Amino acid sequence: MRIMVKTDGDLIVEATPDIGYVHRGCEKIAESRNVIKNIPMLERPNIADASHLNWSYIKPIEELQGVEVPERGLYIRTILCEMNRIASHLYGMAIMAGIFSGHTTMYMFGFGDRELLLDLCEMLTGARMTFSFFVPGGVRRDFPRGFKEKLLETLDYLERHLGAIDRILVSNPVFVERARGVGVLKKEDAIRLGVVGPVLRGSGVRCDVRKDAPYGVYDRVDFEVISFVEGDCLSRWLVRFEEIKQSIRILRQLARDVPKGPIAKKSPLVVPGGEAIGRVESSRGEINHYVVGDGGDKPYRVKMSTGSFKNLAALPFLLKGVRIGDMPMVYGSLDYWPVEADR
Amino acid sequence: MTAASSTPEQDIVAAIREQVGNAVQDVKVDRKGRVSVVAPKETMVEVAAWLQRAGLDHAITVSGVDRPRENQLDVVYFLSSYCREDIKGLVVSLKIHLDRENPSLPSLTPIWESANLFERETHEMFGVAFEGHPNLSRLLLQDNWEGPPPLRKDLKIPELA
Amino acid sequence: MAAETESKPETRSTSPAMEASARAWVGSLRDLVERVVGSAPLKYVVNWSRIYSLWPVHLMTACCGAELGAMMSGRYDPERFGMQAAAGAMRQSDLLIIEGTVTKKMLKRVKVVWEQMPNPKYAIAMGDCACSGGLFHDSYSIINEIEKAIPIDVFVPGCPPRPEALLNAVIKLREKIRREEVYPK
Repeated sequence: MRIMVKTDGDLIVEATPDIGYVHRGCEKIAESRNVIKNIPMLERPNIADASHLNWSYIKPIEELQGVEVPERGLYIRTILCEMNRIASHLYGMAIMAGIFSGHTTMYMFGFGDRELLLDLCEMLTGARMTFSFFVPGGVRRDFPRGFKEKLLETLDYLERHLGAIDRILVSNPVFVERARGVGVLKKEDAIRLGVVGPVLRGSGVRCDVRKDAPYGVYDRVDFEVISFVEGDCLSRWLVRFEEIKQSIRILRQLARDVPKGPIAKKSPLVVPGGEAIGRVESSRGEINHYVVGDGGDKPYRVKMSTGSFKNLAALPFLLKGVRIGDMPMVYGSLDYWPVEADR
Repeated sequence: MTAASSTPEQDIVAAIREQVGNAVQDVKVDRKGRVSVVAPKETMVEVAAWLQRAGLDHAITVSGVDRPRENQLDVVYFLSSYCREDIKGLVVSLKIHLDRENPSLPSLTPIWESANLFERETHEMFGVAFEGHPNLSRLLLQDNWEGPPPLRKDLKIPELA
Repeated sequence: MAAETESKPETRSTSPAMEASARAWVGSLRDLVERVVGSAPLKYVVNWSRIYSLWPVHLMTACCGAELGAMMSGRYDPERFGMQAAAGAMRQSDLLIIEGTVTKKMLKRVKVVWEQMPNPKYAIAMGDCACSGGLFHDSYSIINEIEKAIPIDVFVPGCPPRPEALLNAVIKLREKIRREEVYPK
């Protein structure tokens, strides 16, 4: 995106974001393709977090069709989504907390650890990032042999390596000085602007769709919703860092408790008449897909509403009064993914 | 007669019927976690203000739906709550039917500021005029876009099998 | 009076004949330099230095950027080929990787970046969307054929292409530069 900035010396007086550079017309294209063929296309807006977009699109279609996913399918879906959440947070920390703050070591650490998770995803689904793994009724494949052992091994390594990431980034005095007290978003403003995800939880509002309106098997696992009250850039990054630890905790419980059974139920490839909305908590915030069907095999209307678009309202508000040198830190702490916002 | 314990969805539907029932056209519980309200253009601001006082403090999305066969264009607001524990998991949708030729309605940005960017996008994609919106300039499309608003059914792109 | 001015010679340091011969000498000096630089051993050295320091611009157009980021990281290690993410901007890089879909709004900015890069410069079209439109080919807001705007040297198919495929494309580009089969720019 382009940010047009008016300054008074070193301080920013007004900032106007200009978006739309990656607007590819996903919603219009979705009206002209079969409900299954939309899945790869609707997954591309956030390629680092594709399984959440997939689930949010499939959920309203399953509600309209009246199909219930079997237990094992739900467990596999939740496992893939949590692995994706860790990978996406590592990406965000590598680029936004890393490169944007002049920190190439975090870039290499983040991407290196991410590769292990992408190996696991490739073992399960066949693709590194664009899984297209959830279909109405369940998932496409079962766990391959040796998956659970490799998952637990990767989680053990990640837990140890989080200590290194803590030393070089989260507790690093240079980073803390740059991020503390910068770009403060108070609780009332966060609620008024309607921000979502780690930006919301970093301002003291303890809201997470996984706890408020549980889907998948989130009501059967034990985890905490992390939030900090300061509302500055550092608390937003701490929320993401702690969420990685919570995701590791969820994954251990899921790997232990997966039941046996079928992974999918057959469902017709039509979108029945009616409308439904899906709500899923992705790594950048809440994603909604509003699907209107008319009985044919193509959806009549698909409206995607992603976390980055909702957080965009906070950017001009946060940049007022900030120094030009702090702009990359404030922009980075929102973890804005342009393709997801523009669709 | 002891009343059975009612769900939050039923509570909200009952409260709407009681207090602003003459301002809405239809209100019902769609399914678990979903309440849908249909209001006419003239009374939508009153209904929206009531919903905000009832605890729905932000809009999660705003969408348009183009229906050329009924010569109608619907604008739907989806609302939820961050602060109220009992209705946190609900989504209340407020739908307004508009005339397709000249769709215009009062903007709900003064009530929910989170609807600002969504209304701007709906204006660009569907050609709906929001009266009282602070800034309805171009958001996503290219600068020299000529043609009908893209998400209307007038603009056709080739259909694949 | 007139006779006096006519009898004085013109105060010039060189005569036309001398100038003509100097021009011919400079001309032939330039020819000589071009012939020396264009000779096979020096050309080999120049191309070798270009190959071993291809610095790409940081232009993330769309979703393939995630795989470009993965390629520039430790596991695939492009620094052994001399390719590092240039922290400076376009004026210090010589490779433009167009990854992902180029929308009509973005096209003007891609061209601005391309024109700011100094010669010699090369372009790689990464991903199905840059090659031919890809998944979004029937959209109302994208450019399907980017090679009409910017001369592309190597196309990399894939959605997104694996980091190994992108490294393979960089190796192919290096071969093209070595054999001098790139577009004149």
